[in-house]
Parts: sequence; structure tokens; C-alpha cells
Amino acid sequence: MIKGKLDEIVSEVKEYAPNLNNRADFDVYKSTISGPKGKLTEIMKLMGSVPKEEKPEMGKAINLAKQSIQDTFSKVIKSIEENELLGQLGSSIDPTLPSPELEKGHLHPISQVRDTIVGLFSRIGFAVAEGTELETEYYCFDALNIPADHPARDMQDSYFMPKTSSVSNVAKKSDERYLLRTHTSSVQIRTLLEEKPPIRIVAPGRCFRRDTPDATHSANFHQIEGLYVDRKVTLTDLKATLDHFVREIFGVSAKTRLRPSFFPFTEPSFEMDFYSPDLGKLSNQWIEIMGCGMVDPKVFESVGLDSDIYSGFAFGIGIERIAMILQGVDDIRNYYQNDIRFLRQFPDSIA
Amino acid sequence: MKISYQWLRQYFKSELSSKEILSSLPLMGFDVEETKILGPPPMEHVVVGEVQDFKSHPNADRLRLCQVRIDNDGTCYSIICGATNFKQGDRVMVALPGAVLPGNFKIKKSKLRGIESEGMLCSANELNISHDHDGILIIEDSIEIGTPINSVYSNTDIIFHLEITPNRVDVLSHIGLARELVARFGGSLALPLIKTPLNESNGHIPNTLLESLELNATSDCFEYNTLCIEGIKVTSSPEWLKRALESVGLKSVNNIVDITNFVLHETGQPLHAFDADKIEGNSIIVRNAIDGESITTLDEKKHILDKSVVVISDNKKPLAIAGVMGGADAEVTNVSSSIIIEVAYFKPTTIRKTARRLGISSDSSYRFERGVDPKGLGYAMHRACSLILELAGGTVVGRSSLFSNSVEAKASLDVNSISFSLKKMEAFIGFSVSVEQVKSVFESLNFKIQFGSSGDWEIEVPSYRGDLSRAVDLYEEFIRIFGTDKIPDVGIKAGAINASDDPIFKFNQLVGSFLTSKSFNEAYLYTLRNVDEFKYLYGTNSQDTQFLKLDNPLQSDQSHLRNSLIPGLLDVLELNYSRQNPLGSFFERGRVFRIIDGAVIELISLGFIASSNSSSRSWTQRDAFDFYSAKSIMEDCIGLLPLNLSQMDWVPKKESSLWQPEHSATLGSLDSLSFEAEIGLLNVQNIKSQWGISDPLIAGSLFIKPDIFGNKVVQPRYKTLSNQPASCKDLALIVKRETLASEVKRAVEFSIKSLIQDFNCEWVEIFDVYQGEGLEDNKKSIALRMQFRAHDRTLKDTEVNALFDAIQLKISNETNFQIRK
Repeated sequence: MIKGKLDEIVSEVKEYAPNLNNRADFDVYKSTISGPKGKLTEIMKLMGSVPKEEKPEMGKAINLAKQSIQDTFSKVIKSIEENELLGQLGSSIDPTLPSPELEKGHLHPISQVRDTIVGLFSRIGFAVAEGTELETEYYCFDALNIPADHPARDMQDSYFMPKTSSVSNVAKKSDERYLLRTHTSSVQIRTLLEEKPPIRIVAPGRCFRRDTPDATHSANFHQIEGLYVDRKVTLTDLKATLDHFVREIFGVSAKTRLRPSFFPFTEPSFEMDFYSPDLGKLSNQWIEIMGCGMVDPKVFESVGLDSDIYSGFAFGIGIERIAMILQGVDDIRNYYQNDIRFLRQFPDSIA
Repeated sequence: MKISYQWLRQYFKSELSSKEILSSLPLMGFDVEETKILGPPPMEHVVVGEVQDFKSHPNADRLRLCQVRIDNDGTCYSIICGATNFKQGDRVMVALPGAVLPGNFKIKKSKLRGIESEGMLCSANELNISHDHDGILIIEDSIEIGTPINSVYSNTDIIFHLEITPNRVDVLSHIGLARELVARFGGSLALPLIKTPLNESNGHIPNTLLESLELNATSDCFEYNTLCIEGIKVTSSPEWLKRALESVGLKSVNNIVDITNFVLHETGQPLHAFDADKIEGNSIIVRNAIDGESITTLDEKKHILDKSVVVISDNKKPLAIAGVMGGADAEVTNVSSSIIIEVAYFKPTTIRKTARRLGISSDSSYRFERGVDPKGLGYAMHRACSLILELAGGTVVGRSSLFSNSVEAKASLDVNSISFSLKKMEAFIGFSVSVEQVKSVFESLNFKIQFGSSGDWEIEVPSYRGDLSRAVDLYEEFIRIFGTDKIPDVGIKAGAINASDDPIFKFNQLVGSFLTSKSFNEAYLYTLRNVDEFKYLYGTNSQDTQFLKLDNPLQSDQSHLRNSLIPGLLDVLELNYSRQNPLGSFFERGRVFRIIDGAVIELISLGFIASSNSSSRSWTQRDAFDFYSAKSIMEDCIGLLPLNLSQMDWVPKKESSLWQPEHSATLGSLDSLSFEAEIGLLNVQNIKSQWGISDPLIAGSLFIKPDIFGNKVVQPRYKTLSNQPASCKDLALIVKRETLASEVKRAVEFSIKSLIQDFNCEWVEIFDVYQGEGLEDNKKSIALRMQFRAHDRTLKDTEVNALFDAIQLKISNETNFQIRK
């Protein structure tokens, strides 16, 4: 009789339990079987009244039934759990809908060109130096062999601070005036005064000229100054280094030439031109890209270095100029308007 | 500077083509800005023709159908022409099919209104003969029919517009440039023959035109020569002279004035001619002007002078501003019959100052201020004299030369000798060259070489090369003439240097990649800002408005150094809104300027801005960018600085014109911590009124004193981690509404710290803030969770509960916070 009941419960569970599809119903049903007052529990309570000789067989039967019910419950709960997981997923995705997240931002095209240039000099051992945008006449001019009556020092060409201004974190030589630096070459002087050769730096930064803005002139612009000072630095080193720059920026098909020029702080001085067959509208013509030269002995003198022992070269690259050539931008003011459609034309990549 | 190719060829005789010369100039250091062809270039199929007959075009009233004969055999071409300024029998220039006119204008047979035209009758303008384009060019009858155009007009010239660097005054003339070409290509300089040699002179001997000559301004005028000529005839100049002057952009005035200008452009030495009859008292004095003295110059402008200016004067009045421009009072005119020619050397800095002060730049001042050849005066005077006697007649009645005795003046005439060592030059240029190569370059430049016994050379450079004084200057000359294309290619010298990138740069690199990954686009704004913006945002009397002003702004909208990057970023948003662009968020890395204790300080700065509406238009909603978004970004950026901040305690902003009070906050202090940060909502009213933007904008601004980058950062050390289970407790405290969360958190942390033993509190976090039902109006509830863990065991509930009870008791007893049960 007990055995019959057991079979009955097992088959009932087998039939009923798989229809349960949530955890609450399952728990309720489970307690009607194996809870304290469940059907299976009730039967197990009858074991005491079973004759001794039947007990082993009956025990075996109960165990088998328990096992069978347990197996069924395990299957059912596993299936309920799986359904619960799938239920969390929500509706299926449409991979063609746009992401509502904002897209990655871009570095400004001038920053990108600056980083490229800094990077290529970095690989050949130049460290990045920083200077201040406010400078004094001494560091911007005198120490660079640009005397007081030089045309470049005309009040017309530079933005000056009032005579009474003091700048707490830009040191003066004596009582000269502060101005917004007209070139990054002032970093040459500050570096040569602070550090001992060998010195190999590139100094990117913002410069200012008192120009009426137009397609190629902007109230401020950016340069990268380069300086290499050591024993036995030669003109061939200047050429090798700057050829490296041009090849890295404009490709191996670019040719260079050094055109004699004049800067008070270098002797000899050159303008470097390059010529490239793959530059769109600018192909196959000589294009000026930077001023350079061997550091003038007067500059060494002003920083207390002996030009019989040390030599070096310096160069100044206009970042906007390189950017305009590379990016095909024909008006420098585009860089300062920050139209997001313009900025997004220049995604940063490893290219 | 303008150079006429034809003029140049008078001194530089060579087989070289104009193209070869042109392409070599930049590599010699003379950049060619522009070239222009004057006169007809070489052209084929353009010949002289005669109009035999013409009639109206049957299909167009304004056109004429002409029969034009182009040879003596009677060959006629039928040509349609729009001009009406010719008649039968006129000789004209005919462009036949196959001709290419200036501007790459190709002539071919073509139909005009149904009738074929076999060429074109040309205007002077089309042939580059003159700018005349009213009708076609009619030429003299004497020129034979069929003559090619280049036989009729043989004086085609090329004008080079050269950019000469300020150190090379010696090339600011045709002879000067020819001298350089001879050095580069060989050959010899063909200097003009001087037909009337003058006697040398020293001092002044009175003559009929000039009784006395005085040189008073001896520190500004090193040498003053005069040449007095009587009985000249002032006329217009001959064609060759007119053309020469026109080619370099000068107008012909009269033969005397033209000769002085010609000699200037020929030799580089400025000269001036005075009408001797207009000089009062027959005397010339070279002196400093008297303060307040005035002169009207040849360009009819009146100038008030002071004693820094040197004038050439007679007994009464200044006749010329020395080295800059002559005065109208002693101008040579058509009725002049006696003249005095001045050839002088004025000190460059004096002329530069005068020219700049008076705002005049003349061909004379341009050369004097760069320093003319101190030994070139005599040649220029001889040349001028020769030309005057040839073209204007007259008799030389006197010649005077006065020299200054100043040390500087004497030194300017010293022979310039420079020691040179080939070995040192080779060490400098980095490659070997032969003695012969160097010798040949130096000799081509007219350097005199003395070979010393020790191997060093003494190089004597010509007087016109005042720019050369040191050995390194000679290295430059060598390379320039030798050719920079011959510098050999060597590898890059890149031995390691013990230096690292400036931390400011490193910081900016990290900030840049962080912010772009957070969807911010980098913007570049101008450093100079508008004075009105300063007045509006900070007030007219604020320190920033007063002390960040430039002394010499160019325009009022660029008068102040920026003290924050935010206004610029607002401009960016304004521009993008106005162009209906997609909304974006922006940042800038740059320098800004502040006033601390009355002094300007240059700071490293970072600014970012985003609209808090930025994600509203999307098919699925995202949280808007808000104060707390800005806080997280700013704290991450500050975290990149070499600072050891244990806590960042933001303080709400109370008053600000840029920020919205109570919706923005600050952190740090430039004075004590060397950095300052501001974040939050921008002032909605001011942003609306100044930038016209109504969207709420969230921004962040970070100011850093550069000295912060000198800080040493403590290298983090590994701490062992516990793998024992953790135990959490939640605590809700009822506090006054205005109490800052940081205060609550700090109180809880303090209690824990003072009570805990045997195990650790890993963190305390605020996870809920509540105000409303169940709380008094002026109260809020802040809920904190804390996590405990022991290093060596599983924590028992009893020990955690005991600590938690103690914490609550301590807070109840020691603070105004109330435990929320």
C-alpha cells in the first residue's frame, strides 16, 4: 500500500512539476511534497509502523522515490532559473540604431601635428622643454643677439605689457620690459642657462605677433623650437636631423634644400625648403618650412658657454604652417574658430 | 628690392639664361618673391601687318571684318576685330594661328558669328607692351610688314623682386647683385666706364656755389662729400634712363634727380641733389636739428624735428633730413642751373631711429640704416658726375670731402681682417674640404688671403661686407657659395641624453587623451580677450581688468591676457550654436594669467565645457551631464598632478559672475596648494546676456602654478590584501539641510578611526541622500555604508555590532547629527 502511494506521488510530481514556471509556485508545490506536512513526509512518517522485516525493502522504495522526485525538482528549478535569466534580457537589439553615447572627442588638429613633430624628434633623443608665454625683452631679444634697435624689436611688432608690470614667475635679467614672446627661441636661452650640455630639446609653444589677422596671420600661433648643443655638433648634423624631420612628416619621396638666410641668433642661418611629388596642389615646388642654423657665438656668450668648446644648431618650425600643408587648410583662422565640423575632420589615429 | 634683368646684365656678362640666374638666387640667400616680365616675351607667329580693307561684320554691327596683309607677296588674312581705332593702311600687330600670347593665350582659327577669323589684331596690353587696352596697337609706318614682334620690341625685361636679408646691404644694388653672381658663376664684373675722373679732395675749398661747408654732427655723419656743378640744363631724361628707373618702380622726374636715383640703384650708395640757388648764404651745415624745427619733405609732408634727427641745412633752414629725404625748399626743378650733389655716410642707427620716428622709409634710409659701403662713396660720386656732365652738361666748380674724427667713424674705415683656420671650419661644418676649394670661394668673394705660418689664415674682407667680422661668418660665406647641396648626408647623431620631457607637457598629454576619451573635443582659442568682456565679468576696477591689459593692443577686442579658458570655450559654443552644428563638448589646454599680490602670474590651465542638454535628443535616454559629471572629470584630472591630496573638499561658490552661485564649487587655493579648481553650472543670466546661450552649461576650470610640477610624488608601496570575508554596516544620519556631506562623512570616519581595533574599516561611502516626508523641513538624511574586514579571520557579528554601536553612540554624543533608526 505504501509502495502504491509512493508510485502515485512520484508520477504526480513527474506530471505536475514540469508545468511550474516560476520560483514561487515551485516553492509552494515543493512544500506540498517534501515540506513538513508534505505528502512524501507523511509517508515517511509511516515507516515506524512498518513491520521490521519489510523495513529494508520499504526504505529502499522510499529512497528511490525521493531520488526520483529530487531529480524532477532539480530539472524543474534549473529550467526556471534559465527562464529567469533570459527574462532579464529585454527585447532584442537593433544593431543599426545609433549609440546614444557621445563619440570620442578629438585633439585639435594643431595639437595632433605638434605631437607628431615632437614624437619624431623624441625618437632621436630630443626631450620636451616648456617655456612661458610672457617673456622679457632680454630673453626674447638681447640674449639672442637681437639688439635694441633691431627692426624685429619695433614696438609695432610685439605685444608689450605696461612698463610697471611685474610677473612673479618669469624672471627678468634687469629692468627690461615684459612682452608676449614673439618666438619660442627664448626657450633656448632659458634652457642654456639652466642646464649643462649636452642639451637636446624641442620646445613647443604659443607665440604672438602684433599683426592684423588674415588668412596666414593670426594674433597667436605656435612654434616648435629645437636646440642641440654639445661638443662637436656640426652643420652635417643639422642637415641630417632636419632631413629626418621632413622625411617623417612628408614621406621619403620629399627632397630638402637649405637656403642661406639670416637670423641674428644663428650663423650660418638657413631656411629649409622641401619639395614633394605627392602633395596635391603643392606638389613639385619648393616650399619653405622652417628657419634653422648653427647657434651664433654671441648666443653662447650671453649664456656663458665657450663657443670654442661647444657648438650646436637650432631650428624653429611653425606648427600652423606644417598643419596647413598637411591638412590642406588655406586659412589659418579655421584653427581658432573651432567649428566642430572642422575639428571632426581630423580624427586622431596612428596614421 | 627690384632688380632689372637687362640692367643687371650690363655688369654681369655671362652665357647664363635668365632662368638659370633666377633659380640660383634663392640658394645664394636671395629669395625671389616675384618675377614680372616687362615688354613682350619671345613670341612666334606675331608679326607686323597692314590693314588692306575692312567692312562691317554681316552678322554683328560692332565687329569689323578685316583683310590684313602680312608679307610683301600680298598674302592676306581675314581677321575679325572688335576695335575701331584703326583705318585702312594702318600697320598693326597680328597674332596668327599658332601664336601664344602672354597669359598662355593660344591663337587659332575660329568662327565668330558664322565667319572664320584667321588670327587676331592685338592691343598693347595683350602683348605686354604697355597697359593700354583701348583699341589695338597702331605702329609706325616705317616698320616693314612681316617683321616679327621681337624684332620691333627688343627691350623685353624681367624684373626680379628679391627679398634681401637685413645683413646684406651690399646686395641692394645692381652692381652688388652682379658681384654676387660673378662670385657664384665666375667671370668678371663689368663696371661702367667713368668718363670724367675727379681729383681727390680733402676738406673744403670755397667755390662760387658753396662758400662754407661744416660737419657738426660728427657722431652721426662719418663722411660728407659735395660736388658743385654750374651751368647744367635740367631736361627730361633719355629713354634708357627713364626705362631703367621705371623697371625698378621709380618715376622719372628730370635728368638730375633721375641720375641720383639711378646711381643709388646701380651702386647702392644714396645721393642727393640740391638746387644751389636755393641754398641761403651759400653754406651747408650738417648738424642735429633744433627741437621743434620743421621741414617739408619732397613728398609734401611736414615733419617736426628734434635733436635726435640730423639735418642738412643752410644758414637759415633745414634743406634735407639726412639720409632719409630731401626738403621741398631746395628741390632741383626744370629751372635749376646750379646743383650741389651730396654723397655721405650716415650712422645706421641714427637713420634707423629717424626713419622710424618720422614714419618714412625711403630707398636712401633703407640702405643707410643697414650701413652702406664706407669706401664706396667716391665711386658713386664719380659715376654721378660723369652721368651729369654727359646728360646735363655744366662745369664742376668744386668738390669737398669732410670726415668725422670720432673713434667710431675712423673705425668704420679700418681694414676688416679675420683669422681663419681651415681645420676649425671643417670641425664646424662636419666634412672635409680642400684648401683649393676654400681659396677659390674666398677669392671669388674678393677676400684677400694671407697664409700664416701656423696654418691659420688672415682674411681681409672687402669694405662693402660690413656684415663679416668673425670666423663663423666666413664659414657661412663658404657654405653659401660652395653650395648647401654639397653638404654630405650623414647619419643622425642620437646618443642618449639623461633628460626627460617637461612634466607640464606630460600632464597635458595625459589630460588630452583622458578628455578626448570622455568625448570632449579640443579647442584652440586666442590668448587675448576683449576689454568689454573683462569689464562685464570682473568690473572696470578689478585687478584683472587693470593689470592684465596690454600696453599696446592692436584692437580693443584683443586687449587683455585671458585669466580663464571658459570665456573662449563659450565663444566656441556660441559659434557652433549659430551654425546649427551638432552639440559637442569642448576643452582647452593653455596658459592663463592671474594677478596675485599685484603681480601677474602665468598659470597652466585646463578648461572644459558641456551642455547639460547634450544627450536630450536621442532615441534612448541617457543621464545629462551635470555638476557631478564635471566633478568626476575634474578630480580625475587633478589626480594626474604630482600632489598627495588625501581628500578633495569642494566648497560651494557663493558669488560669481562667471559661475552660478550655489550650483558651482571650488577646490584648492593657488596660495597654499598651488592649484585651484572651479566646476559647476555657469552663471545662467550672464551667459544668456553675453553669449546668448540659454542651455544650462556645465564647466570646469583648473589653474596650476607651474612650480607644482617640481613636487616629488611618493612612489606607492604594496600593502598586503586580506582575503577574509568583509562585513558591511549602513548608517543613516539626520542632519541640517545646509550641512555638507563631506562634514558628515568626516565625522563618521573620525569616529570609526578612534574606536576601531583588531580589524580595519576599508571604506565609508555615502549612498543615499533623502529629504522630504518623515523629516523636518530643514533636515535631510544622509546614509553611509562602511565595510570592515579583518586580516586574519572571519569577523564575528558580535564584534562588528559592538563597534557599530559604539560608533553610533559617539556620533550621537559628539555631533549634532541624529541617528535615523
